[in-house]
Parts: sequence; C-alpha cells; structure tokens
Amino acid sequence: MIGLVSYIVFFLILSLIFGVAVLGLNLQWGFTGLFNAGVAGFSAIGAYTMAILTGPARDAVFGGFELPFVVGLIGAMIASGIGAVFVGLATLKLRHEYLAVATFGIAVTIQLVCLNWEYLTGGTLGLIGIPNPSKAWVDGPLAQNTLYLLVVLVVVGLSFAALERIVKSPWGRMLKAIREDDVAAASLGKSPERVRLEAFVLGCMLMGLSGALYVSFIGYVSPWDFLPILTFQIWTMLIVGGSANNRGALLGALIVWGVWTMSGFVISRVVPAEIQAQGGAMQAVLIGLILVAMLLIRPRGLIGEELHVSRHARS
Amino acid sequence: MHKFGLAALAAALMGIGSTALAADCPIKLGAILPVSGPMGQVGERIAETGLFAVEQFNEAGGVHGCQVEYVLRDTQGQSAVGVDAAKSLVDLDGVQALIGAVSSGVSLPVLTSVAVPSKVVQMSCCSSSESFTALAEEGKTDGYWFRTYATNRSQSAIGAKLTVDSGFKSTAVIYVNTDFGVGLANRFEQDIAKLGGSITSMVAYNESQQSYRAEVTKALEGNPDSLYLVAFPVDGATITREWLALGGTDNLIVNNSLRSDDYFQAVGSKFLQNLQGYDSAQPRLPSVDSFNEMFEARFDSPPNGPGLHSVYDAVTVVLLAMEASGDITGENIRDNIRLVTSPDGVEVHPGPEGIARAKELLAEGKTIRYVGATGALAFDANGDVQAPKMTWRLDGDKNVETGYLSTAEVAELIMMLDE
Repeated sequence: MIGLVSYIVFFLILSLIFGVAVLGLNLQWGFTGLFNAGVAGFSAIGAYTMAILTGPARDAVFGGFELPFVVGLIGAMIASGIGAVFVGLATLKLRHEYLAVATFGIAVTIQLVCLNWEYLTGGTLGLIGIPNPSKAWVDGPLAQNTLYLLVVLVVVGLSFAALERIVKSPWGRMLKAIREDDVAAASLGKSPERVRLEAFVLGCMLMGLSGALYVSFIGYVSPWDFLPILTFQIWTMLIVGGSANNRGALLGALIVWGVWTMSGFVISRVVPAEIQAQGGAMQAVLIGLILVAMLLIRPRGLIGEELHVSRHARS
Repeated sequence: MHKFGLAALAAALMGIGSTALAADCPIKLGAILPVSGPMGQVGERIAETGLFAVEQFNEAGGVHGCQVEYVLRDTQGQSAVGVDAAKSLVDLDGVQALIGAVSSGVSLPVLTSVAVPSKVVQMSCCSSSESFTALAEEGKTDGYWFRTYATNRSQSAIGAKLTVDSGFKSTAVIYVNTDFGVGLANRFEQDIAKLGGSITSMVAYNESQQSYRAEVTKALEGNPDSLYLVAFPVDGATITREWLALGGTDNLIVNNSLRSDDYFQAVGSKFLQNLQGYDSAQPRLPSVDSFNEMFEARFDSPPNGPGLHSVYDAVTVVLLAMEASGDITGENIRDNIRLVTSPDGVEVHPGPEGIARAKELLAEGKTIRYVGATGALAFDANGDVQAPKMTWRLDGDKNVETGYLSTAEVAELIMMLDE
C-alpha cells in the first residue's frame, strides 16, 4: 500500500511538471494560436539555467553557484523568457506551419548547443549533483517526494491562478481576438505583433519553469532529456486535454502521462515474458490507439474551450 | 473533472497494484531497457539475453527455492519514461534490484531519482558515461550502482600505450561527440601525456554528417605524425577518407568500434596498412566459450552484439547476490555482490550446472568467484569493472592480433596512469 502511495506521488510530480509546460503551450496555442513546436528547447534553457545556478561547482564547467532553489526557478524563467524574446522577434512574423518549422529548428539547435557547449552544459556527460531541495528538509524517499510534490503543486497552483486571471482580463480577450482574426484586432487599434510576442514569452517562461522543476527533481540534466519527442508529448497533452482551457491542459498532462506509463505497466503484466522484448512495440501501438480513440470521441479535447465574452457579461 | 481524473487513476492503480505487493514467491527482478525507440533493436536482444539468464537461474532452482520472475519495462530511450518505469517496478512490483538501462542519459536519472533513494541495486550492462564514476566518487550512489560494462578508462589507457609504443610523438585526436567519445578522448589526452606522447589537436565531430572536411582540416594543423580516431564505422570511414585525401598520415590508431569489415572496405584496406587498434578481448576462458555455446543453442545465432555478454553477467551476479542474502533487500544484495565475485572465492561458471554449484557453495557459507560471460568480474569501489584488452593491426584484408593484456595487466596500467 505504501508502495502504491509512493508511486502515485512520484507519478503526480512528473505529470504536473509536464503540466506546467502544457499550461505554457496552452497560452501560446490555445489562446493566441501560436504554433510553437520548440517546447523542448525552451524547457532545456530553463533546465540548464537551474542546473548552473543551483548545482555544485565543477572543474572545467561554468557555474556551480549553489544558489537557493527559488532563485534557480526565477532564473530559469528569466533565461527562457530572454531566449523567447530573441526567438520571438525573429520568427513571430511567420504564421502557422511556418512558425512551427522555425521553432522546431530552433529547439533542435538549442539541443545541439547543449550537446556541444561543454563549458556551459557539460556536453554529453550532462551535469550531475543538482540538489533537490526536499532532500535537505526531510529523510526517506516518500517524505521527500511528498514534499517535492507540494512544491510542484504550489508552482502549478500559482501558474494556473495567474493564467486564469490574465486570460479572463482584457489582455486575454485580446489574445483570442488576435487568434481569430488579427486584421480585425489591428483595425481596433491593437498591436498583434506585440501581443503575440508577449504571449510567446510568457508561455516559454512556463516551459523553462517546467524544465527547472524536472532537473531539480531528477538531480541530473543531459541533452538527451530534450529531444523532439518531449515537444510531441507536451502537444499531445494539450490536444487531448483541450486547448484554450487551463483545466484541460492540466488534465491532459495527467491523462496522457498516465496512458504513457500505465500502458507499460499493463504490458509487463499481461504479455508473457518470452515475447516481452517485443512488448515495446505493443506499448507504442497501445499509446497511439488510446490517444486516437480519445480524439475521435472528444475532438475538442476532454474539456475544451469555455465560450464566454467577459467575466462581467457572463453573470 | 480534474479531481475525478485523479481518483479514477488512483482506483485503477490500486486494482492492479494490490496483488503485486503481497506474495514473496516468485522473486521479481526488474529490467528497464529500451526495447523500442532509437535503441530498440539493440535493446530487444539485450532484453532477451537478460531473460535467458533468468531462465538458466530458474533451471538451477531459482533464488531461495523461488522461481525468479523477470519484469521487463521499456524506457523508449527517454529519461522520464525510464524513471517512471523504474519507480513503478520498485513501488508496485517490489523489486529490490534493477537491470539497466542502456544509455547513460536514462541510467543516471534512474539511479539518482529511484535506485539510490529507494535503496535498490541498479546494475547496467551498457552505460559507459564517466559521470557514474564521478557520482560514485562523490559518495552519491551509496554503493547501489554497478555496471558490467568495462569502462572507457581501460580503452584510453591501452590506446595511449599503443600510440606511444608505436613510436608516435605527436598525435591528433578526432572523436565522436557523445558521452562515450568525449570521455574517452579526454582520458586519452591525460594518459598520453603521462606516457610521454603529445597531442596536436582535439577535434570533436557530430554524427551522421555528409562531410567532415572542416574537422579533418582542423586536426591536420600542427603536422601530427599519427591520428587517434574514436568513431563508428560509417562516419569513421568518411573521416578517414578525407583525412588521407587531405594528406594526413596513414599512422592510424582507432578505437574498438572501428574493428569492422564495413569500415575497412569503405575506406579500402590497401590504404590502411598502418592501421592499428585495440579491443576488449574476449577473455581466454572456458566460461566464455560455454556461454557462447549455450547462447547459440538457445537463439540459433552467436552472441554478437553490444551488451549481450554483459547483461547476462549483470543478471547472474545480481541473482547470485540475492541467493547469498538472507533477506532479499537492496542493501543485502549490494553488500553481497562482492561476496559472489570475490577474487579468492571458489570459481563458478555460467549455466544451470555452474549456478547450482554456486548455490551449494553459498549454502555451505563459502565465498565464490563468478567467472562469467565477460570473464572474471571484479567491481571496484565505484561499481566499475575492467576487461582484458587486445591490440590488432590490419594485414592485407585481415585484422591480426598483435598483443594481449589480461585484466590484471590492464588494472596495473591504469593504476600507473592514475598515480
């Protein structure tokens, strides 16, 4: 029973960490219509910033400032935000699939920089020994993970509340207006370029935050954590959960990560040992089937966008 | 809705999880390997060989009279998936030892976030990164980390020795930019300085490029009299062709992955008559031959491929350590691993008979020395092992052996270099 609780805590930590990135993507795609296919790249920036700011000093590698966890989180958001400003200025003139291709390329570039800039990132060896703040406070894996889960919950809660607040504000309505018809929005005196950039930067900061939470939890960061599959997973979570709905984004993170991991558990239980080595392929098929089935049944996601004009007009 | 999702998930987990925790028999051994994804083909054979080792152990009566159940989970080559799989094996299946993973980028997160905090032994067949040794030296593995893959340490040492013994004074290094290549090249640089050689340049290359002209040009600076190349056959052949075409010396020293006919043919053997290399030697031991025979009988093909010998030994050593433990806990397994690979123990070999004999000896309270598919394993304080090495050169189309260093000689060489 303790094992089960311990696993659920662990599962929630990982899925909610993904959830933070999904919230960021939701702001970009769900509310603003920006096709960001570079989630992994911005996550990587946040992750490495966390590792450099809070990690122990190393020979021949920059960083190791051993700063507090919270400083690492804020630093990660700032660094990925700055990265997003540059990327945004360069690419946000592009629309839809063009933006997707450009951001995808940038994410691959960032991963390759992480792989090659040894002085900053430790290269392929990665950076080890990144402190997990919960280990300084309590003993035992379950207590530590529970504490870390609380930290993640606080971060998710704050992000969620802030996003709910801003998407319901006039600024949030402007995002949707631009998503639906940016010419119409511009004719009302709004500046779509500027607002797109703002939404892009805010969303990327959340992706960086997600990366930072991940490395602190795992205690290690390497370029292999930020392959394009991560971007794909985050997108799947958003689409399954329901884009343009922050609750949907978080639910999607839990459900998709649940399907991803539970399918492996089920396969290890039901498939005979002799053919389990082929089970990997079955797991991939199972994940695909479940996701397709969900989208067929709920094409707008499990909880899609709520339609309303303004929080004042609704009542 | 959000809360409902959580509750449903918890209920689903409980339904499947609860049966797993109760029984003591069979004893479970967890394996986290990439049976799909980019490493899928390699991982699948490794996973099958791991199962083969478990089957043989069961044939000899299992652990404490219990059959061993091999619970395999796929990492998909992704760290988050691997970490979750490991945690699920530990918490829901109650395993006390994990075999895996293959790539270091997955093994290390599993080690730091699951194995060490949960006090579960993790033994990898294949992870080569030096970060594990660094982590162990810092005391952050608590001794729960082991690998049956002989570390890069010996490869750079023997490469440097071969270079200096061949009379080369200034060497250029071109290496693949992975944790394997970087670790090896950096060690080589230190080793060759100790042995009296010198390096003219260190050039990393990224895999799967059309041309490596820029890298080769850079490596040619300073007129090296030899080239040390750490590469894999396809890219290695491209680099070698460009190196020779641009006037580089044909005094080549290559790492073991280039001891391949694909490479010789792609470059042309006649251009490689001053090529030398080294490789992990199959130890000259009957235990290795008997493993090879048993493997061939089971799979109808010889055990050629990365990680097969080493995963067999990883599984067998862990199970022997379980057998030697009263209570099967991660801590006991960790402590008993050296008891079953002790240099002054009674020698036992792989296969059902060897394992049955090992179990008898353990029951009598004796220490044993498991000499397995990779030869005698001696884990150092960091959980690393060494392997015997051989050197070779190309003669016509054939690569011929030019030297052999036993495990003890390799260890001696490394000790000298590390001083």
